[in-house]
Amino acid sequence: MTIAAVFASYVRPAVADSGLPECDLMVAPQTIDELEHILDLASEHQLKAVIWGGGTHQGIGGRIDPDLLIATSQLNRLIDWQPEDFTVTVEAGMRVSDLEEMLADRGQMAVLPELPGAATIGGVMAAGVSGWRRARYGPTRDRVLEVDLVTGDGRRVRAGGRVVKNVTGFDLPRLAVGSYGSLGVIAQACLKLWPEPSTKVTVSVADGDRALATAYRPTAVVESDGVAKVYLGGTEAEVDGQVEALDGTVVPGWSWEPEPTGVVGWSLRVPPASTRSAIERLPSGWRYQAGLGVGEIKAASVDAEGAAELRAWAESQGGALVIVSGPAGLYSDMDPWGTPPPGLDLQRELIRRFDPCRVVNPGRLPGGI
Amino acid sequence: MTLIGDLVEILGPDRVLSEPLERYLYGTDGGVARGEVIVVVLPETASEVSDVVIAAKRHGSPIVPRGAGTGLAGGAAPAVPSVVVSLTNMKNIEIDLGNRTAWVGPGVINLDLSKLTRSSGFHFAPDPSSQSACTIGGNVANNSGGPHCLAEGTTTSHVLAVEIVTADGEIVLLGGPAPDPIGLDLRSVVVGSEGLLGIITRTLVKLTPNPLDVRTILAGFATMEDAVATSSGIVARGVVPAALEIMDQKMTRAVENFVGAGFPTDAAAILLAEVAGHPAAVEAEARLVEQVANENHVTSLRVAADGVERAKLWLGRKSAFGAVAQLAPDYYLHDTVVPRTQLVATMQKIYEIAERHDVLMLNVFHAGDGNLHPLVAFDASVEGQLDIVHAAMEEVARVCIEAGGALSGEHGIGLEKRDLMPLLYNEADLDAQARLREAFDPDGLFNPQKVLPAGSRCADLGRPLPTGAWL
Ligand SMILES: Cc1cc2nc3c(=O)[nH]c(=O)nc-3n(C[C@@H](O)[C@H](O)[C@H](O)COP(=O)(O)OP(=O)(O)OC[C@H]3O[C@@H](n4cnc5c(N)ncnc54)[C@H](O)[C@@H]3O)c2cc1C
Ligand SMILES: Cc1cc2nc3c(=O)[nH]c(=O)nc-3n(C[C@H](O)[C@H](O)[C@H](O)COP(=O)(O)OP(=O)(O)OC[C@H]3O[C@@H](n4cnc5c(N)ncnc54)[C@H](O)[C@@H]3O)c2cc1C
Repeated sequence: MTIAAVFASYVRPAVADSGLPECDLMVAPQTIDELEHILDLASEHQLKAVIWGGGTHQGIGGRIDPDLLIATSQLNRLIDWQPEDFTVTVEAGMRVSDLEEMLADRGQMAVLPELPGAATIGGVMAAGVSGWRRARYGPTRDRVLEVDLVTGDGRRVRAGGRVVKNVTGFDLPRLAVGSYGSLGVIAQACLKLWPEPSTKVTVSVADGDRALATAYRPTAVVESDGVAKVYLGGTEAEVDGQVEALDGTVVPGWSWEPEPTGVVGWSLRVPPASTRSAIERLPSGWRYQAGLGVGEIKAASVDAEGAAELRAWAESQGGALVIVSGPAGLYSDMDPWGTPPPGLDLQRELIRRFDPCRVVNPGRLPGGI
Repeated sequence: MTLIGDLVEILGPDRVLSEPLERYLYGTDGGVARGEVIVVVLPETASEVSDVVIAAKRHGSPIVPRGAGTGLAGGAAPAVPSVVVSLTNMKNIEIDLGNRTAWVGPGVINLDLSKLTRSSGFHFAPDPSSQSACTIGGNVANNSGGPHCLAEGTTTSHVLAVEIVTADGEIVLLGGPAPDPIGLDLRSVVVGSEGLLGIITRTLVKLTPNPLDVRTILAGFATMEDAVATSSGIVARGVVPAALEIMDQKMTRAVENFVGAGFPTDAAAILLAEVAGHPAAVEAEARLVEQVANENHVTSLRVAADGVERAKLWLGRKSAFGAVAQLAPDYYLHDTVVPRTQLVATMQKIYEIAERHDVLMLNVFHAGDGNLHPLVAFDASVEGQLDIVHAAMEEVARVCIEAGGALSGEHGIGLEKRDLMPLLYNEADLDAQARLREAFDPDGLFNPQKVLPAGSRCADLGRPLPTGAWL
């Protein structure tokens, strides 16, 4: 039987939708059972699979020439929402925007990236990305209470639980965040929710650093190409009191700026106190959006001129300069991640035990693992 | 050379304890389990820890890392004869106020860090009731919580990096000072690993700004249901207070007798609620707390007038377990979690279990996050008593899991709950946990026979590891 025939029953027309890469085999499992079977088969046939969520950030990490593309688009069901417990359990292919819209009806939020586009819950978790509100609510990893992973060799594994506090066993849910599929496909997750503040405002200020020092635990302070905005949330009295101290232009609600786009997209990560210094070191012509007090800077440029020096500096601070998107040639000129972190042997050993045939996103992580 | 001879060579005779009494003292923690200690060592640097690990491994001796020994799940009590590595001498602290972080040695006492940073306006948010004794290393290993973890998150939310000594004796730094360190987030899985994945020799923790304003409210209720409904009602209205703690009447009376915190002893249950943050928020949230309490038939309500009164209320809460010593020589403190909405029904079942087994049970718990701490006071010298207590507590665990909960919210699994793990996880789940452990420590050198029940690693599951190089 040909490999295509083996997978025939999982090929769905829905896969043919948007912007997918060239790949002979494209499947979209409709259930987690199907996903298990697909990965088991992929292991048996030693295939390299790329997992496709919203496809918004496939540019991060090592390039893969896949034999198989597994789209999570059909795994998009709501499994369980307990508004009074502030937890929600969803399948990984659900779009972040759909989830947040649903939660907003009951005044709740999952506090994931603010302008998610087509991004899915699984993709956001796998890529370990957080929204700017992490300044106040912590990163995405602090939101994941339970995870169902399908390992590279097709075993469904659950860890954590649907409660907001839990130390039963090793913390696989947090480990899955930022794993880029290396342990398996994130099939389902339970997230901790937050109440939406009753009052929300955005204040444009002249000096972001000063605002950060003035505001008491703001939701976020984001500077985009020199223009700083402070995001506040809370009770009306609290927000009003804070606004007064900030002395800026106020608009109601949280109005997020789109991130900069360009030929090359970057993620620069430095200790929070080095954020200003990082902005000052951006090569000329780079556009940026920086989370003040967080140390995360998204940047865009026309080429990689000056990136090597910037990366060396960021790494010397304990940070990193990561390629988020760019032309294929860039990835052969420059490691997408930079110097691999310590503990690579441990990472390899771990991956080996979850994905022994190295099926899912092989080579995407730092160090080419 | 003998193991002890090797250890003396590494650390000198003063930091190798091998007298019978010393070994006895290190054989247990705050829980009820006791194990056999071969020798206790007190290293002062990561490289000494590494040398100790290599020596113990050479002699085939398992290692149990240990902080202050206040853990309640038997995590620091050896399950098999072991070398105990006590980290209490590693007390370095380097504060970086610009980044609101500190590098701390594993032996630093939790409260000492907050005391040290208080005048700069910061504190270390996780505040276990044992904070004046327990170590940050123990907190990280157990992913400990505390009353104020409701709004701020448990220890894991406050750890940016950990340095560990691996089973090979390698010193590895996991995580770092910048957000989203690249590669698999091994830091997150070392937190809460109960000494099974490596010995923590240094941690980079976040410091949290002290609140501008705090209000602590003490509310009494005629029934436990009303107290719980108030706590859940507050959260359901979209307010996440700094803390929401409930005590039942038996516990309240024991505490009053012990420290005189001013708790109403006629109430069936009391709720200690704290709101903190911006003064305007505190004002509004305090009003909401009072309102929800009134809706739920509050019988007495008091707001701490000043810092002194607040400190007294918290002393009362944090002395709860100590207060039990007046009632019986021993206590067994359980730790389980249920979804907040299941609290009332679960508490009822727990009281029924206590009644059926005829044990003296007191309750104090982190109501805001559904984390229960049923406590049984008993006398272990009476034959059969401990068995009865164990039986009752196992039933409690079952009831909580049936309600959609978990086995432990903050104390860990250790020895105590190891064999209950299959209540929550199936074969494949446990096998995954065992694989994770195996990746770090294939020979099970660190804290063997803890957390994972025997037979967790299931050779029949999944594909065998291919031989030869790949990756
Ligand atoms: C620095 C930085 C800043 C960002 N800022 C924002 C922002 O402000 N707003 C925003 O919306 N997004 C932002 N993102 C992008 C991020 O949120 C992506 O949108 C998201 O991670 C990708 O989701 P996706 O569903 O499109 O997944 P994809 O792009 O399809 O996949 C991302 C990665 O995860 C893997 N993957 C996908 N699904 C799974 C799964 N179920 N299990 C296992 N692996 C899986 C993929 O193979 C791929 O390696 C940012 C990313 C970075 C690095
Ligand atoms: C009265 C009382 C009240 C308590 N209240 C709370 C509470 O409110 N919240 C809460 O979460 N807990 C509470 N506890 C439990 C206990 O205090 C915590 O679990 C604490 O974090 C343990 O710290 P320790 O230094 O005593 O660790 P130990 O008991 O010495 O060790 C605990 C575990 O961590 C491992 N370990 C210790 N140090 C290291 C290290 N450096 N590297 C690797 N592994 C290590 C040990 O092997 C063991 O498995 C309470 C205990 C008591 C007695």
